[in-house]
Amino acid sequence: MAEELVIQGSALGKQFGENVIAVEDANFTIPRGSFISLVGPSGCGKSTLLRLISGLIEKSGGDLLVRNAEVVGPRSDIGMMFQKAVLLDWRTSIENVLLPDEIRGTIDTDAKKRAWDHLQLVGLKDFEFSFPRQLSGGMQQRVALARLLQTGADIMLLDEPFGALDEFTRERLNDELLRIVEGPDITTIFVTHNIQEAIYLADQVFVMTPRPGRIAAQIEIDLPTPRNIDMTTTPEFNNYVQQVRDVLAGHLDGQPL
Amino acid sequence: MSDIGSDGVLAGVKELSPIQKLAMHGLVFLIIFGGWEVGARLGYVNELILPAPTSIAYRLYEMFFVTGSIYWHYIITMYEATMGFIIGVSIGMGLAITAAISPVFRRYWAPYAVVFNVTPGIAVTPFIIAWFGFGWSSKIALAALVCFFPPFINTLTGLLHIDKDATELFRSLGSTKKQFFWKCQIPSALPIIIAGLKLAMTGALIGTIVAQFFSASEGVGILMQRFAFRLNMDGSFAALIVMSLMGLSLFTLMEYMDYKVLYWRRHSRMEEVGSKRKRKWFAENGDFSA
Repeated sequence: MAEELVIQGSALGKQFGENVIAVEDANFTIPRGSFISLVGPSGCGKSTLLRLISGLIEKSGGDLLVRNAEVVGPRSDIGMMFQKAVLLDWRTSIENVLLPDEIRGTIDTDAKKRAWDHLQLVGLKDFEFSFPRQLSGGMQQRVALARLLQTGADIMLLDEPFGALDEFTRERLNDELLRIVEGPDITTIFVTHNIQEAIYLADQVFVMTPRPGRIAAQIEIDLPTPRNIDMTTTPEFNNYVQQVRDVLAGHLDGQPL
Repeated sequence: MSDIGSDGVLAGVKELSPIQKLAMHGLVFLIIFGGWEVGARLGYVNELILPAPTSIAYRLYEMFFVTGSIYWHYIITMYEATMGFIIGVSIGMGLAITAAISPVFRRYWAPYAVVFNVTPGIAVTPFIIAWFGFGWSSKIALAALVCFFPPFINTLTGLLHIDKDATELFRSLGSTKKQFFWKCQIPSALPIIIAGLKLAMTGALIGTIVAQFFSASEGVGILMQRFAFRLNMDGSFAALIVMSLMGLSLFTLMEYMDYKVLYWRRHSRMEEVGSKRKRKWFAENGDFSA
């Protein structure tokens, strides 16, 4: 099976100022259509790695290729989602979803139709003309997800997107996310500090450890797809959890917290 | 008392029916103004210090409906205050936007605006009169001077305190600085900018009236002073009430603008605007679900 590599990092590093090494010597390849979780404690550089790939920040060393081209800045095939929904309060859901088209100057009936459909897809039928403050936290993240889909990006970088939501909402949104990104086209990188969530969602988990931020292990998750919540109680699943814990424990021993 | 603390300072106030409430307000009003009136009539209060409410009311009636002498002064004062407001706000916001866009300007020029602000604007009145003369322009200049700072500092604060995630979102979407400015920075800053405008409005009125006190041939400020110099206290008080009316009308105007512009801060407005946009959308695009 000739898998197409979309993202490739070798000896990738990012240093802030004189002595803060946020990411050091990161080597990885991410095949097209895969779902990668970046898991690790705060300060392990997972958000930095995500921002390097997004082109929002510049690397300090090594190589980073997206579709065989060096990353030099934000690109239209990469879309992002954050822990906060970052919606514009003065815009209705549909107007928020149309923001990417507005910025690119591609707003037309077709774009409007797609925005409408994306809102239906994320389950926001009848909330197209609600303002963010009229929506719950979970619904706001759904709008943000619809906006991400609207960009047409097939590489999705998600920075703890449901981290601020309650457990129940998060589980539901995780399942809906999986449903939306499944298939060979969309490549997803998902940052989280929740080990179970990381394993549940991903084809591959990158375990990151802090000071300096490194990818300590890359674990293939060989669980059947589509995933469902009952799998989280199986021995296989718990094995993976234990593996991740072991990696983190090995690196965190003796480190100040 | 089971409801202690349930509604803060009003805990313990018995809930009245609307009619009872109205009667209560009427009663309090009557006690204050009736007491004042009786005191004045019976000579307990010197008319030269505090004239009776009815004399003030009569004077107001006379100004507005018999001689009509107040209108010109009223219009002039409102004109001066409004012009001063517009000029002051334009300069303040213009400087703030420049400072927000240019870090060099912010660093090396904006501190002078702060020095300017800590100097009491009213104290500059003699200079303003000397520079701009005794006519309208000196009133407008002082009004502008007194009201320029709140819009300046609020606009600058609003434009600079933008959510880091919003910046990243716009960058990841390939936004230009100009798009970011208009689509994100300005609307995000609007609530604090409008708060600055409210302060400026009051400032402009104060500036105008102080300048009129100093030297003017027309305006409510000089009218009041003329009454006072002639020991016509009911006239003076009437002029004061006119000033309150001006302040109130300008304030109401600002509140209305707040209500209209900042619709996303009020639930009832969001519903109103949301359904308006919905109708517009369906009129333009039809129903995609159909």
